[in-house]
Amino acid sequence: MAKAREISDIHQGVPYATAAARVVALRADEVVEHAGGVLDVSEIERLHDMRVATRRLRAALEVFRPCFPRDEFKATLREVKGIADALGERRDRDVTIAALEDFGEVLAAPDRPGIESLVAKLRTEQEEANDGLAGFVDRARLEALRLRVDELVAAAEELGGVPETPSSNGADPVERAG
Amino acid sequence: MKPRKVKKLDPRGPLGENAARIVQVRLDELRSFIPAALHEDCMVEQHDMRIAAKRLRYILEATEFCFGRSGPAARRRAKDLQGILGELHDCDVMLPRVEHHLAELRSADAGAVRERAGNAGDLDPALAARAPHRTAYRGLEVLAVYVEARRRLLFERFREFWEEQERAGTWDRLDRAAERTLEDARIRREAMERAERAARALADAEGAEREAAARARRAAEELRLARHNAGSNG
Repeated sequence: MAKAREISDIHQGVPYATAAARVVALRADEVVEHAGGVLDVSEIERLHDMRVATRRLRAALEVFRPCFPRDEFKATLREVKGIADALGERRDRDVTIAALEDFGEVLAAPDRPGIESLVAKLRTEQEEANDGLAGFVDRARLEALRLRVDELVAAAEELGGVPETPSSNGADPVERAG
Repeated sequence: MKPRKVKKLDPRGPLGENAARIVQVRLDELRSFIPAALHEDCMVEQHDMRIAAKRLRYILEATEFCFGRSGPAARRRAKDLQGILGELHDCDVMLPRVEHHLAELRSADAGAVRERAGNAGDLDPALAARAPHRTAYRGLEVLAVYVEARRRLLFERFREFWEEQERAGTWDRLDRAAERTLEDARIRREAMERAERAARALADAEGAEREAAARARRAAEELRLARHNAGSNG
C-alpha cells in the first residue's frame, strides 16, 4: 500500500482553512499519481494504491468541509465518491477472488469445482466493475477533478490568510497536548 | 450512517481547536455503539461502528499531532478496530453470496434434471445423481462453514480488542487530550480578550489624559489673557 506523503509546515496553531488547503492539495496529487494501470486485473495492487489515495482525499475533504465553498465542495466530493465507489466495486471482486483461490487450494481436488464456479462468476463481475471504472479514471476526467480541487484549495488558502508560525502563538507542533 | 454534526468549527481558527471538536464528536459516535455492537448478532451496529471507527481514524490521520502521543496511538487502534469489524462485515457479505450461488446452481440443476426426465411418470434418482453441478455443492458448503466459523472467531477477537482498549484507556486518553486542547484554546482566547480590553482601557485613559491636558492648556491661556486684560485696564 502506498504511504501517505507527509504534510510539511503544519502545526496545531495553523488556521484550519490553511491546513485544509495543504492537506487536500497533496492528497489530490496522490490520486492522480496512482491512476496509471488500474484497469489491469493482473496487477491488483495498482488499483488498491489508487483506492487508498482516493480514500485519503475523500477523508481530507470531509474533515475540512467547513473550509470550502459549499456548492463547489459538494460537486467535488460527489466526483471523488464516484471514483471511490467504482474503485471499491473492482477491489471487492479482486480481494474476494484472491481469497477464494487461496481457500480452493487447501481443499481436496474433488471439492474445488464449486469454488471455481463462484470465482468464474466473480470474474464476470470484475470485468463489469472494470468497465464501470474506466470512465472514472479517464485522464481528462481526472484533470478536471484536479482543477476543481485547485479551486477549493485557493478558496481555503484565501480564507485561512497568512498563517502564524509555531513560535508566534506558543504552540509546540508535536508534543504539546501530552 | 450519516456522521454527527460538529458544532462551532471555525475555518479561521486554529487547526488544533477545530480538530479537538471533531475528535470528541467522532469518539462519542464510536462509543455510542457499545454495548449493542458487543452482541454477536447485531450486525447493523457492528457495521455502523466500523464506519465510526473509520471516521475517527481519518480525522486523526490529518491531525493526530495535535493530541500528543495519544493521537497516533488512538489512530492505530481505530485502524485495527476498523480492520476487525471490516473482516466481520466481509463474512456477513460472503455468506449470503455463497448461499445465493448455491441456490442458483440448485435451481439450474433442477431445471436440467427435469428436462432430462422428459415425459417420464416420475423422476429417476439416477438423473439427479448426474446433475451438471453435482460436484460443486460440497466445496461451497465447506466454504459456508468456514465463513460462519470465521465470523464467530472474529467476533470474539473484536470483543476482546474493545475490552482491551477500554482497559488500556486508549479512547479516554484521546478524549482528555482533546479536552486539554479546547481548554488551552479557551484560556488563550480569554487572555487575548483581557489583553484587548486592557488595550482599549489604556487607549481610553490616554485619550482622557490628552483631553485633560488640552483643557488645562485652554484654562491656562484663558488665565493668561484675563491677567493681561486686567493689567491693561489697571
